[in-house]
Amino acid sequence: MSKLKHISIVIILASLGLVMLLDLNKIPNQFEYANSIYHHITNNAVGETGSLNFVTAILYDYRAYDSMGESTIIFGAVSGIVLLLSRKTLPVSSHGLSFIVKRTYGMLTPFIFLFSVYIIAHGHLSPGGGFQGGVILGAISIIFSIVYGSEFDYKRYTPTTKTLLETSGALLFIGIGLIGIIYSGSFLSNLNILNSEPGSLLSAGSIPFINLGIGFKIGAGLAIIFYSMIQKTFKEEASL
Amino acid sequence: MNNILIYLVVVPLATAFLIPFVDIFSNKARKILVGFSALFEFSIGMYIITDNYAAITEHTFFLKYYLGNWIPPIGITLSMDMLSLFFSTLISISLLFIITYSIGFIGHHEGKYYVLLFLIWAAMHGIILTGDIFNLDVFLELMLITSAPLVAFKRDRNGTEAAIKYMFFGAIGGLFIFIGVVLVYFNLGTLNFADIAQSFSLLPLFIKKMIIIFFLIGIFIKLGIFPFHFWLSKAHSACPSSISALLSGVIVKVYIYVFIRLFFNVFGFDILRETGLDIIIIVIALTSSILGHVLALSENDIKRMLAYSTVANLGIIVAVLTLNTRLAILAGLLHVMAHLLMKVSLFTATGYLLQFTPSHKLQDLKGVAYKNIILFAGFTLTAAGMVGFPPMIGFFSKWHILQAFLDRSFHWGSITVILGSIIAFFYYIKYIIYGFKTISIGPPERFRLILSVFYRERVVTNIAILFAIAVVVVGVFFKLSYGPIEGAANAIMDPSIYIESILGG
Repeated sequence: MSKLKHISIVIILASLGLVMLLDLNKIPNQFEYANSIYHHITNNAVGETGSLNFVTAILYDYRAYDSMGESTIIFGAVSGIVLLLSRKTLPVSSHGLSFIVKRTYGMLTPFIFLFSVYIIAHGHLSPGGGFQGGVILGAISIIFSIVYGSEFDYKRYTPTTKTLLETSGALLFIGIGLIGIIYSGSFLSNLNILNSEPGSLLSAGSIPFINLGIGFKIGAGLAIIFYSMIQKTFKEEASL
Repeated sequence: MNNILIYLVVVPLATAFLIPFVDIFSNKARKILVGFSALFEFSIGMYIITDNYAAITEHTFFLKYYLGNWIPPIGITLSMDMLSLFFSTLISISLLFIITYSIGFIGHHEGKYYVLLFLIWAAMHGIILTGDIFNLDVFLELMLITSAPLVAFKRDRNGTEAAIKYMFFGAIGGLFIFIGVVLVYFNLGTLNFADIAQSFSLLPLFIKKMIIIFFLIGIFIKLGIFPFHFWLSKAHSACPSSISALLSGVIVKVYIYVFIRLFFNVFGFDILRETGLDIIIIVIALTSSILGHVLALSENDIKRMLAYSTVANLGIIVAVLTLNTRLAILAGLLHVMAHLLMKVSLFTATGYLLQFTPSHKLQDLKGVAYKNIILFAGFTLTAAGMVGFPPMIGFFSKWHILQAFLDRSFHWGSITVILGSIIAFFYYIKYIIYGFKTISIGPPERFRLILSVFYRERVVTNIAILFAIAVVVVGVFFKLSYGPIEGAANAIMDPSIYIESILGG
């Protein structure tokens, strides 16, 4: 019975996929819509935003409000996971990996941190930005927990610190948006502060600062997610 | 340009970000922040109404906002017309009271609970104000992600299972909507609602059909319309009652708004009529309505019964809106308001009563009325409104729906409405009779508090009674709500107003 069910599901899905494929094939490969915002952005992005990276220009200037929503999705997911997995007791483990691994990562961690800061700060110049750099920042906390044991991570970088970093990143984003209202009358408008010619580090107005805010929000958020989850596994280990 | 619109989104968002920050220092400060922000957000909505009172009465009300000073086709536009105002006001009022109810009702993990609640509030206003199709998708996703943990708030097996289902089907629905957004951008090169509305009819028919189908399936999964109704009852019944009221009363209305905005203003109703899809939607929605009523009748669990009743009522709302006559849209919007008030009222009252019973089952509700007779009277009145007895708002909305169906001589619709009301009478009367049944053991011994999460009993009962009173009062004075609803109906019937107001200067 269940085999028949599986076969029929596969047949239905395959036929639906075939119909979709045939329909998608009919769509012209290149859209030639004269008034597309695509033309506007590729022609004017550098001049209008000062960012050499078009993707960043779209994410943090033309559609910065969307990025606010997307980074808030991560914030909401973090809050939800903490709500569902939080325990009153915090069992921490001081078990880490071997001495060699500990020393190696001890030397590597500053460079990983530097790399994440570089990715965040150069978001408007090269590929990368707040989301990508933030993930690397979050990885540092995960490395601490795995290599040195979660007790080390807990002492160096307490959950309170992580929450503070996360909320301050989020508030920085909103703050920049609100400054935009005072400065030029519109939420999240690009501020013309600290602007030099496109291509230098402090260019593109408020884009680097939004990147910084998102970087902290994402990095601390992912570290909190990881931390809430390992708490649970350690508890299960203890009960075995 | 009026900055007030952006504050409707930013105030709850900033509150959600501030709560964990304040929570580190003091619990009490967080409580004050929650109450203050809810009132502040509510008063922003009220300020918009009083500030534009003349424009609202003349139905010419329109506010727009260009984010980052980017002119429409390029950046994101926020806008508020009569339709958005109607939904925004309903959401602000109901969320203010749901948050007040939660203050008495939720006793643990309050910090994260209010973070998620305020994020949901921000996402709802984001959806209702946005004039950009990708931004709509972002906020739909935000609303799903933030409401799923609240479904599992009780952290038991049932709740977790329901939350996984809710998350899974919500995400699939979101995926369909996302593919639709991608197809729209691929074919039109724009994401702005007004810009899409202007050039959508120029597309080849099969592309139009494909886009419509993707959006339709996505929204139907999220609404729980017939082939996708199975996840809704579980998700809406496993959570605490304050969240049930939010999910079943308010969040589904936001999806109704998305349905209206996309299919009446952005894509235009003509495409549905051209392809004959409108009849299919009506038939599916009516089937969903009957099925919801039948499943509610067969249910033995009070919260699942209320959740299935939501399926039934959403079916009726979608069916009557798709008739696309003036009367039908009026009736649909009236029923949106009626169902929101009644469902929030029923769930808030049920949440109080269920604190004193060992389970949600019908047998355990025996004699529960004597615990708080006024509150149960309110429950009875609201249930009567749900069935369609005269002084309550439910009667007037159902009356209008019936008229709308008769007007188009769509008799299957009228039969469904009447049959649904008859079935509803039977499943509500069952619980009311059980509630009034006397039992040999005195109520005080039988009904002691089972859960320890009940802080301020008086707040909870007052809010539940308040909603029951609102159901009756709004029903008696329902003619007063004609003005704004007619304005909203104008906005739905004539998409050119929306297009011109956004693109024209």
